[in-house]
Amino acid sequence: MKKYWKSVEEFHGITVGDNGISEEKHKEEFLELFENGLLRKTSSRRDFFKIFGFSLSSAALAASCKRPVQNAIPYVNHPPEITPGKSLYYATSFFDGHEYSGILVKTRDGRPVKIEGNALSSFNNEGTSARVQASVLSLYDDARLKLPTVDNLPVNWDTLDEQVIKDLSGINSEDGEIVLLTSTINSPSTIKLINEFGTRFKKFRWVQYDTVSYSAILEANLICFGKAAIPDYHFQNAGYVVSVNADFLGTWVSPVHFIPKYTSRRKPDSPGQEMLRHIHFESGMSLTGSNADKRIKIRPSEEKQLLTELYNRIAARQSGKEFQGSAGRYDVSEITESLISSKGKSIVLSGTNNVEIQLLINGINSLLGNYADCIDLNRNLNIASGIDSRVEELVNDLNEGKVKALLMYNVNPVYDYPGSGNFLAGLKNTVVTVNMACSLNETVGKAKYESPVHHYLESWNDAEIIPGQLSLAQPCINPLFDTRSFQESLLKWSGNSLSWHDYLMANWEKEFFQKSDLPDFRKFWEVCLGNGVFSYNISDSKPVSFNKEVLSASINSKVSVGTYGFEVILYESVALGTGLYANNPWLMELPDPVSRHCWDNVAAVSPADAEKLGIITGHLIKIGENLVIPAFIQPGQAEGTVSIALGYGHTNSGPVGDNIGVNVYPFVGLIGGTRVYGFTTGKLENTLKQSQLALTQVHHSMEGRPIVRETVLSRYRSNPSSGNELHEEYELKHRTLYPEVNYDGFHWGLAIDLNSCVGCNSCVIACQAENNIPVVGKAEVRNRRIMHWIKIDRYYSETPDNPKVYFQPLTCQHCDNAPCENVCPVSATNHSSEGLNQMTYNRCIGTKYCINNCPYKVRRFNWFRYTNNKAFDFNTVSDLGKMVLNPDVTVRERGVVEKCSFCVQRIQEKKLLAKLENRTLKDNEIKTACMQACPSGAIVFGNLKDRNSEVSKLFQNPRNYHLLEELHTLPSVGYLTKVWNDEEKKS
Amino acid sequence: MNDSVLSNNIRFLLLIILLICITTPVHSNFIQADDSLLNKQRAFKAEELTKGERLFYGLVYRDQKAVSCASCHNTSFSDELNWNPDAIEISRKYTNKSADDLSKVLLRPAVEKMAEVHNGYQFTPEDIVLIKAYMDKLAVIGLKQSKPVITNLFLFILASILFLFSITDLIILKKIKRQWIHFIILFATAVFITNSFVTEGLEVGYSPEYEPDQPVKFSHEVHAGQNGTDCIYCHSFAHYSKSAGFPPENVCMNCHLLVRNGSRSGAFEIAKVINYYEEMKPIEWIKVYNLPDHVFFSHAQHVEAGGLKCQECHGAVEEMDRIRLNQSLTMGWCIDCHRTKVVNFQNNRFYSDYKNMAERIRNGETDSVTVERLGGTECMKCHY
Repeated sequence: MKKYWKSVEEFHGITVGDNGISEEKHKEEFLELFENGLLRKTSSRRDFFKIFGFSLSSAALAASCKRPVQNAIPYVNHPPEITPGKSLYYATSFFDGHEYSGILVKTRDGRPVKIEGNALSSFNNEGTSARVQASVLSLYDDARLKLPTVDNLPVNWDTLDEQVIKDLSGINSEDGEIVLLTSTINSPSTIKLINEFGTRFKKFRWVQYDTVSYSAILEANLICFGKAAIPDYHFQNAGYVVSVNADFLGTWVSPVHFIPKYTSRRKPDSPGQEMLRHIHFESGMSLTGSNADKRIKIRPSEEKQLLTELYNRIAARQSGKEFQGSAGRYDVSEITESLISSKGKSIVLSGTNNVEIQLLINGINSLLGNYADCIDLNRNLNIASGIDSRVEELVNDLNEGKVKALLMYNVNPVYDYPGSGNFLAGLKNTVVTVNMACSLNETVGKAKYESPVHHYLESWNDAEIIPGQLSLAQPCINPLFDTRSFQESLLKWSGNSLSWHDYLMANWEKEFFQKSDLPDFRKFWEVCLGNGVFSYNISDSKPVSFNKEVLSASINSKVSVGTYGFEVILYESVALGTGLYANNPWLMELPDPVSRHCWDNVAAVSPADAEKLGIITGHLIKIGENLVIPAFIQPGQAEGTVSIALGYGHTNSGPVGDNIGVNVYPFVGLIGGTRVYGFTTGKLENTLKQSQLALTQVHHSMEGRPIVRETVLSRYRSNPSSGNELHEEYELKHRTLYPEVNYDGFHWGLAIDLNSCVGCNSCVIACQAENNIPVVGKAEVRNRRIMHWIKIDRYYSETPDNPKVYFQPLTCQHCDNAPCENVCPVSATNHSSEGLNQMTYNRCIGTKYCINNCPYKVRRFNWFRYTNNKAFDFNTVSDLGKMVLNPDVTVRERGVVEKCSFCVQRIQEKKLLAKLENRTLKDNEIKTACMQACPSGAIVFGNLKDRNSEVSKLFQNPRNYHLLEELHTLPSVGYLTKVWNDEEKKS
Repeated sequence: MNDSVLSNNIRFLLLIILLICITTPVHSNFIQADDSLLNKQRAFKAEELTKGERLFYGLVYRDQKAVSCASCHNTSFSDELNWNPDAIEISRKYTNKSADDLSKVLLRPAVEKMAEVHNGYQFTPEDIVLIKAYMDKLAVIGLKQSKPVITNLFLFILASILFLFSITDLIILKKIKRQWIHFIILFATAVFITNSFVTEGLEVGYSPEYEPDQPVKFSHEVHAGQNGTDCIYCHSFAHYSKSAGFPPENVCMNCHLLVRNGSRSGAFEIAKVINYYEEMKPIEWIKVYNLPDHVFFSHAQHVEAGGLKCQECHGAVEEMDRIRLNQSLTMGWCIDCHRTKVVNFQNNRFYSDYKNMAERIRNGETDSVTVERLGGTECMKCHY
């Protein structure tokens, strides 16, 4: 059988304890505990009296136990839309300058508790990313800015407004320039407002700044097509995708938009459609690389050569113009043939922020005619508008004193601008500086005026993510602090007496109302607000014409390939992204999907380099002169490259995010006017110092049993159950001495399609938010006590050099023959008549027998009280943080076992709804939190008793199998085998 | 009601009271010769306050026909329901008013019932000033605690100390030579301690007949019983949410915009509700039916889907003045009902998914489906 493994150490047969420390070392550490006498300490007489006194006083307390008086406080005037005990959903939009989603916000008694995807938003359907799911916790962050300040002294809004208006008009009368620096803004009303604001001043400039820049794509498209835009990629129309260094399933542009399109073409049996084949070139091991049928390792410096060769070959076949370039290390003839044979139905893309590379990409795609169906520049993605050179220009102007006033909104250049010292100097050089931020960050406190803005869940807004696809954002809670929206401030400072809400409405009435077919505006507004989205047909602008001459003119034909030294790649991590949410404990504890580490950023090195330099995972390595960071041996990492995640190493983001990891933004370079996320260095030293990494990789291991089953498309076609032959075999062997349980009515089941799951981890955070799962912190993660009820296991096969990667979401399997149930001495875990493996916290006495007996290791133990415990000061200590708790789910006490409940609160809610409406339950009516958050629809929940339900059909699919089914545990969770669109490998 | 603040800052408050009294101009409609006395502000001597207190308790005019103030208006905590406002409530209400205002209400009440009771008072203006002075004092000190009772806790601690002492003496000190004394004490205290543990332990979180005083003396008997108001009129979410809901004050005002005079409590309690409403303050009712946080209970499930009458769980609320906990609210009580109650199997289409059960009913194998038979006693029906 093919060998699957989870880490390099396992592949080489080294037994590891946690965090790469060998078992031997672990034993030594344990023995040290004895030598230090910690465990030898005997109880003294004093201890005896302490315990005696304690038990006496606690007994006395118990004897006079009185329940506290509880109050019920009704409204004075009841708002008609609120029903106590029922959730109210508001449709709104999430856009933080980097990521967009149309969402529904679930509020209970006026406080948002959960984010769900808006099914009406065609952009992301019901899917959401982990960061969008976690954004509700950022609302209740104590690090949020709470009041306006001038020179870091609290003031009221009137004082601030008065001073800002006076300062701005003073500068304007002296013909000084006023600059507004913002993150990308795609709100049409805000853009209009900014332009109006600008016209009030003689010299005004608006600069948009993206933390992670897509400047090269914008510029390349401006050169080729006359439109600075990021196109939309229609993976659902493509049969062949070649991506280079673009993690479009993890972080690049808009994964939540791409994942459903991509996975819809990754189904091996969708009628009338060939399965998409995906080739991926990259240096570090990304989520996209893990999902590709074929992953080819390259060094970043080789990319241009590769693409030039690809262009030349395609051009040669089509008598196009050729560029000079030598053949690279990789044979691209097969890719060329495939691309040409699927002409017009393919996508070639690159995530490198380099104009020349993006020009080549445009050239290849236009040679292949992909702009018709697969790449859409008319309906482009308004997700990033920052042009790097304009930011550079601004920083220069700031330092030269050309800019007199700088207003900043939703940016943190002191942290994430590569030359942050330069920026800071420029800021000091500027007379009037205003910062508009929501939460604490490194830039806060550096400006004269701090004008804190609302969280997005407290504010009105709109967005036009794709031309013609609009969405509204509405407040779901009253502002928690004395904050004011950015737009409100601009209105105030431009002397406009309209409120932002009225301005927004007026703009919609003027711009978009006429595009609808509704008779009056009030109705239109209510419908839009209710749906959260509004779309209209944009006139199909002329087919995008490609300017070939420009391409050949601007391509520098000289190709240089770096051949020595180490190339360092700085990338966005799936969990933390750009680092905007570093103070969000859910995201901090979310393991990276591939490396499975959390609470840190690491330098991923290739196994070959690690062997050469004697690096083991956790060693601190020194890269270049002053970058010291823990190393992590990453299978599949290209030799001679090191990957480090951006977004860590904050110094002023709040108690959770500060001093975690290293900030690598200062190492972002600038070549030819665009920012380069990487650098080359000849120096990489192993300091041999060991660092403590929180790896979740060896947690709850399943010890090499046939967990993931796979096949390739050709074999699947001839035999749909290929790769899954064991299933039939085990099904035949199933015998039992006990009477078989016959469920009546409902038998809940969950089917997970391994082909659709890309491993984005959105379900993990959705589950955490839904089920009040505590954050345990780095030290406890190291103790293998992470509490997530669903985790996405990652397995490797083949060699560490360039392995195949498998993702497998794992929750409680709700076995019909559950091994955990038999061993509980107090029957705290037992089986329901609906097939649920129930966990009763109040009965649990914490023997952990069930954890020992669970073959899937999905049960979690509350080693500590995580609520109201200063030692775990994440979000369940302060009253503010606790507002995020779901009132329908019990917060667990110390000493009890917990695990996935199949979101029983949602099952019960929908069952009751059906009863109240006197009807049967519909299929797909009950959605577990993980299913709902999944952007690819990989998770399907439903009633197995209903033969026509989607989950039943998936259970009858020949690809369906159960984990460790040879144990006859009869899980209620089924997995569909992974089908690669690849040739069969001889192993 | 900020009584805690009041008791903490007696001096400060007296000063404020004084200031307010001085600065508030008093306009009186009927001017009598003694009104100057009523409106005059001054400090009171201890003996004057004592006289005020004696007047309040009806100890001065022994031949007066009317009852004393204290006989209707409680000055100490009481378990009994007293429809009349207690002394503190009135005192606080009149803190910022003058003795003249008090005199008007006291001697010429507008409310019928009050007029009846107050008939025959022969207080002089000076008496009223003294009563008012005493009431101002009451407003600050609050209700008197009723006599301390020997609590179980006290006895428990005593027994524990005795037990400890006896055991120490038996083993170490050996002061008392006769060992049988030790054994008697040890036996008696051990029995008492164990008994306390068992009885009290069983009753942790168990408070039958819990009937606290509510911030407004609201009578379910008057509203639901005499007037026949439907429960759902006020607890309007019972049919479709897990919470039945407490009536918001705007619902109270639907009737009490007009109805200002109650049959039990006169105008005082209704005036409180109106006052709450006008000041946009919520009434902080005391919850009587408290379920622990780890229990999920839905009114909609029981009232709408299950078709239960409110009284089946809450008792004859329409006969209660003050709401009283009618059930033990233990899990046993829930389960007992789930074992015997029959679900609306035939008439609710939801249950048609239970095909085996439907089959058995059709075959005549069974005729009724209890909640338990559909899994109604399983843990995760209520705990998650």
